[in-house]
Amino acid sequence: MERPSARGADVVTSVVAEGLKVAAPRAPRQHGWWRRNWVSLAFIAPGIIWLLAIVVYPTIATIRFSLYNESATKFVGLHNFASVFSTDTILTAFKNNVVWVLIFPFFVTFIGLMVAVLTERIRWATAFKAIIVMPIVFSTTASALVWRTIFDLDPHVGVVNAIEQTVSDWFSTPGAYPLNSAIGQTAVSLASFNATGATGGTLLSKSAVQPGGTVMMGLTRISSTTLQTLGAKTPVAPQTIAGGIAGLVWNDFSPSQTSNTTTIVSDEHGLPNLRLSLVNSTGSSVASTVTNSSGDFSFSHVAPGSYHVEIQASNFQTSFVGTFWLGSQSITPTSGLNQTAQSLLSVPLIDLAMIISYIWIWAGFAMVLIGAGLAALNREVLEAAEIDGATEWQTLRRVTIPMLAPVLTVVFVTMVINVLKVFDIILNMAPGSSQGPATTLALSIYNDGFTGGIHSGVASAIAVILFLLVVPVMYWNLRKIKGGSP
Amino acid sequence: MNLFGRAKASRKALIAAVALTTVASMSIILSNGPALAASSKKIGGSVSIWAEWTSTEQQDFKAVLQPFEDSTGIAVHYTGKGSNMDTALDAAVAGGSPPAVALVPDPGTLDTLAAKHAIKPLASILGTETKNYGTAWSNLATYKKKLYGVWFKAANKNTVYYNPAVFKAAGISSTPTSWSQLLTDETTIANGGTYAPVSLCTDIGWPVADLFQNLFVKLNGATAYDALAAHKTKWSSSAVTNTFAEMAQLTGTSGANLLGGMKGALADGSWPNCTTSVFPASGSPTAAMVFEADFLTSNVPANYTPGNGSSCTLSATAAPCYDTFNFPAPSGSAYAADIQGSGDVAMLLTSTRQSKALIKYLASPSAAAIWANLGGFVSPNKKVALSSYPDSVSKADAKALTSAKAFVFSLDDLQVGWEPALWADMLNVLQNPTTSNVTTVEALMDTQATAALGH
Repeated sequence: MERPSARGADVVTSVVAEGLKVAAPRAPRQHGWWRRNWVSLAFIAPGIIWLLAIVVYPTIATIRFSLYNESATKFVGLHNFASVFSTDTILTAFKNNVVWVLIFPFFVTFIGLMVAVLTERIRWATAFKAIIVMPIVFSTTASALVWRTIFDLDPHVGVVNAIEQTVSDWFSTPGAYPLNSAIGQTAVSLASFNATGATGGTLLSKSAVQPGGTVMMGLTRISSTTLQTLGAKTPVAPQTIAGGIAGLVWNDFSPSQTSNTTTIVSDEHGLPNLRLSLVNSTGSSVASTVTNSSGDFSFSHVAPGSYHVEIQASNFQTSFVGTFWLGSQSITPTSGLNQTAQSLLSVPLIDLAMIISYIWIWAGFAMVLIGAGLAALNREVLEAAEIDGATEWQTLRRVTIPMLAPVLTVVFVTMVINVLKVFDIILNMAPGSSQGPATTLALSIYNDGFTGGIHSGVASAIAVILFLLVVPVMYWNLRKIKGGSP
Repeated sequence: MNLFGRAKASRKALIAAVALTTVASMSIILSNGPALAASSKKIGGSVSIWAEWTSTEQQDFKAVLQPFEDSTGIAVHYTGKGSNMDTALDAAVAGGSPPAVALVPDPGTLDTLAAKHAIKPLASILGTETKNYGTAWSNLATYKKKLYGVWFKAANKNTVYYNPAVFKAAGISSTPTSWSQLLTDETTIANGGTYAPVSLCTDIGWPVADLFQNLFVKLNGATAYDALAAHKTKWSSSAVTNTFAEMAQLTGTSGANLLGGMKGALADGSWPNCTTSVFPASGSPTAAMVFEADFLTSNVPANYTPGNGSSCTLSATAAPCYDTFNFPAPSGSAYAADIQGSGDVAMLLTSTRQSKALIKYLASPSAAAIWANLGGFVSPNKKVALSSYPDSVSKADAKALTSAKAFVFSLDDLQVGWEPALWADMLNVLQNPTTSNVTTVEALMDTQATAALGH
C-alpha cells in the first residue's frame, strides 16, 4: 500500500513553514552577499531586533536568574535546581504536569478525530462545527469560571452534583429531618431532653412510660427552614389518655431562653411528621405513629407494661451532600504515604475535572485541524476500501487514521506543548484550598516568582526546566511541520 | 497575612489593575500640570509618590493630598501600583529612579531599603510629628535605632465580623468577651440549627494563617512571635502545638462549627465569598461570624449599615447591618493586648523641600482625618480624633490600633520561598487536627522552613 500522504498537514501548516524559512536563512559565504541581501536584511531587521529583545534576551536572563539567589545578587550555582527537586510543592507541580500530559493530549486528539469524522456525514455540519469550535473563542478564564460552577459542591449550583443528587435520592429518600453529614452530624447530636442514642441511628426516650402516662422528648439543631416547610406549630404539653400513651417531640431551642433545655417555651416549635415506634421492655416495636403539626402523638389501647418511645432512623436519613469535584482528595490510595510520596503519587480529583473542562475548550481546535486533514484525504483510497467491502469502522481504523497520522501527530504534539504550559484554567477554576494540590509548573513559576515581591531564583529554575521540557517537543514538531522526519 | 492577602485574592485583576494605573498615572501627570502656578509664599515644584492604592482607595488618597497641594502649591504626582507595589519599588530603586516618597505594605521592605541606604532617616524632618505614634508603631518603622517611616494606614486583624441579626435570632444578646463565651455562643448558634456559627475563610490558606497568627501572638506574645517568624523558635515547639489546639476548638470536631463543615469551608472559603455567607447582598445569611481584618469591610454589600447591632433584625423590611467585636484571647493568654494586623508605611527616598513637606504632612493628624472621614480607613496616628471616623466599627478599630501594646505583621509574608507551603500546611492542620497529624505537619514545616530560610 502507498505510504499515506502528509498532504493534510501540509495544507494547514505550509504558511507556518514558509515563515520559518524566512526567519532562519542559511548564511552563504559568497563574496558580495551583503550587497545583494542588504535590502532583505533591512526588512527583517526590526523583526530580528524585536525577537532578540523579547525572546532571546529574557531567555538568557532567566537562565542567569536561575543560577543566582532570590534577589539575583549572589551566584549560587545549581542550588535553585536542587531545591526544585526537593520541595514537595514543586514535586506536586511536576506530578500534575505528568497527569495532564498523560491524559489530556490523547483524549483531546481522540475526541477531535471522532467529531471531525462524524461531522463529515451530517447535515448542518458547519453550524455544528462552529458550536464545537466556539470555546476556543472564549477566554479561558470565562470557561474556567463556567466549569467551576458546573462542578460546584452545592447541588443547587453545580449541575454535576445536581444530577448525582437526583440519582442518589431515588435510592435513598432523605428523611423529614435530614442530618447534616457535612459537619458529621449524628442522631445523637440532636438529642437535647429525655432522648438517648440507640442502635441503628434511632433515638429512644430515656424515661420509661406506662399506659396512661405521657412522654416528652426534646431535640435541637433543627433548622428553621425545615420547621417552616413542615408547618411546625407551637408545642403543647401532652394530655394523658386512659389506656394509652400520649407525648410530644419538640424543637428544644428558644432564641429567648437559649439555656432552657427542659421545658417548653412559647417561641419553640413542635416537630411534625416524625415517625415514631412504641418499644416494649423486650425491645420490640408494638405500634407506630406519626407526630402532628404541634409535635404531639398518641398510642391508644396499649397493653399494660413499661415502654419507651423510639424516633425512627428514617427521619434522619441524610440528604446527598455533593461530590467535591474541585477538591484535592486523591483518586489514588496514597493517604498512608509520607508527604513526598503523596506529592508524587496522588492524583487529586480536581485534576480530572479540569482536564474535562480543558478538553471542552480545545476539542474544537483539534477538530478543525483534523477536519482539514480529512478534507484533503485521497478519496480514491476511501472509495477503494468501500468497494472492497470494508465496514465503516474498518475504514476508519485501517485507512483513515493511518492516512491522517501526520495530522494527528501534529495535533497531539501541539497539545502536549500546550498542556505543559497549562496555567490559567488552574488559577481560575481551582478553589483556594485546591490551588496548592492542583498546581503545575507554570503556576508554580507565577506563585513562587511574582506573588509577594519578586523572588527570581527558584521560579527561574522551574522556568528553565519547563523550557527544557518543551524545547525537544517543539523541535520535533517543527521538523514534522517542515516535512522532515524527526 | 497583610494586604498581600487581598493582592493574592485579587491577583486575577492584577494585570488589569497595572494597565489601568499606568493610564491613570499618565493622566494625573497631565492634569496636574497647571497646578504648578505657585503664589509667592507657596513652595511650588512637584513631588512623586507611590502607593498600592488603586480605584476607590486611590480617589480617597488623592482627596487626602488635595489640601496639601492647595496650601503648598506643590504638585503631587501619585501612582497607584496595586499589588505590584513592592516589586515596582524594588525595580525603581535598582534602576536608580525611585519616587520621592513611597508607601509600602510591610515593614520588611522598610528594613531592606534602610539597609541599602535607599531611604532617609526622618527624625529631624518630622520634629514633633514623631510623637503622634505609639511605641509599637515607632518600633515598626525603626531600623538600627533610626526612624525611617511614617505609618499612614493600618488594618486590625484582631476583629470578628458578625451579623447582629443572626446573633439575635440565635438568642445571643451580647457579643462574647471571653474565649469560653465565644465557644459557648458557637454551640448556641449551632443548637439553633438554622445558621452555622462560623463562615471560615480558607482560600489558599492565608486566612487560616491569619487566624493562627492571631491566636499565637495572644498566647505567646510578640517576642515569641518574632522568634517563630525568624524560625528561631521551631514549628514543632509546644507554643505552636497549643495554638493549633485552640484553633481546633474554634472549628469544632470535624468542622462542626463551620458553614458546610470542613468540606464546605474548603470548597467555598475562597476570599471574598466567605464574607457573603454572613453578609449576603440579598436573601438570608447562612452563617453568623467571619474572622478577618478590616479589608473585609469592602466586601460587605453597600446596603449594610455598620455598628449599632442591637437594632438589627432579620425581618425583610429591616435594613441589614454588620458589626465587630474584638477577637477574644484564648483562655490563659498572657498577651491579650498584642495584636496582629497590617499597614502602609511612608518612606522618604529622595530628600527635597517638596518631599520633606509631603512626608511631614502624611504624619499629621489632619491628613489621616480626611481619609478617616471618607471611611474604609483606620490610622495608627493617635492624634487623629476618634470623632473623625464615620461609624462605631472603625472607631473601635482605631482605638484598638492606637492603643495596641505590641503590633505584629503577618509572619507568613516573611517566609520567603515556602509561603505557599506554609499555607498548605495550615489547611492540612485545619482539616486534620489530631495530635499525630499536627506532629507530622510541624516536623514538615521545620524542614520546609530550614530549606527555605537556611537555618
